[in-house]
Amino acid sequence: MTVTQAAVSVGAQAAAPPAPAAPRPKYAGLVTRALAFAVDAAIVDLTGGFVGVVVGLALSVLKTPDEVDKLLLAIGGVLFVLWTISYFVAFWSTTGQTPGNRVMRIRVRRSDSDEPLRMRWALVRLVALALAAIPLLLGFLPILLNERRRGLQDLLGRSVVVHAPLG
Amino acid sequence: MIRAPLLSQGLRLGRRASSAAVDAAGRAALVGLDALLDWRYTDEAVRRVLSSPAADRAVGHALRGPLVDAMARDVARYAVLERVTGELAADQAELERVVGSALESPAVERIAAQVIESRLLDTIVERLLLSEDLWLLVDEIAHSPAVTDAIGQQSIGFADQVAGQVRVRSQRADAGLERVARRVLRRGAADRVTPEREER
Repeated sequence: MTVTQAAVSVGAQAAAPPAPAAPRPKYAGLVTRALAFAVDAAIVDLTGGFVGVVVGLALSVLKTPDEVDKLLLAIGGVLFVLWTISYFVAFWSTTGQTPGNRVMRIRVRRSDSDEPLRMRWALVRLVALALAAIPLLLGFLPILLNERRRGLQDLLGRSVVVHAPLG
Repeated sequence: MIRAPLLSQGLRLGRRASSAAVDAAGRAALVGLDALLDWRYTDEAVRRVLSSPAADRAVGHALRGPLVDAMARDVARYAVLERVTGELAADQAELERVVGSALESPAVERIAAQVIESRLLDTIVERLLLSEDLWLLVDEIAHSPAVTDAIGQQSIGFADQVAGQVRVRSQRADAGLERVARRVLRRGAADRVTPEREER
């Protein structure tokens, strides 16, 4: 590169307009997130309940021993837990939006980028969500005090929840 | 033999004279008619004749007689209606003017009001409601994609409106709850980004 070319290059870099700053994300607060979670809980519970009722009615015509009933109940419980985990993990790790989040126009994303969570972090987040609820919901308190409105599940799951308007 | 040519010549002269006399009389009659039409009493005379019972009777006789049938035949034969409608259709502006003035006339309004108030309309509606075809038609329309789409759109629009309100209020509640929490925990107002602040 000649001196002239270098000078032109430096001049061009100096003249280039600065890249526009990325808009600061709007973090979702506790009430919005609670409403979104309520919608999700309703979907999970209603679906699980509907399936449980259908299976229960089908089994009611069969005379099954008590042990079998207990076993089926345990299997049903496990399936319900799996269904719940799958629901949240699948949505958080794909679009970042559960149906409840969609209704409230919020989105779960990584704390350091705009990407959805990886599956394992989504799983961690769900476990942390349960942990946050155990001590009288105190794990959610940081959402009210944290600068980025992050609760225990966000801190452990390396996530933030942002507003995601359509369009 | 000599008298025959003389006779024929005399007859020819006589015909010419009578023709000239008839011609003169006709011209004189026309002049007289013109004078009569220009006469200042003519209009009044015509008006009186037309408003007289005799004119009524004359019109009645004419309408009862074969004149109307003959006129109808001639109207059909000479395509009078087609020619009139053709002329009107060719002149769109004139047609619109004629139709507009006809529709806006008080007479049409009166007729429409009479039709609506008459038993005829009730009878028509009753018969329509008894008709199975009507309900089939209503069923078809109600299940048509256009109608179901419109209803669906309206429902979605309403749900979206409700959800929008919930979102706005929840964001206000977020900010309010955080203010309360900070106050309770005696923390200073951090330079937190709240949706409301950003909206301002």
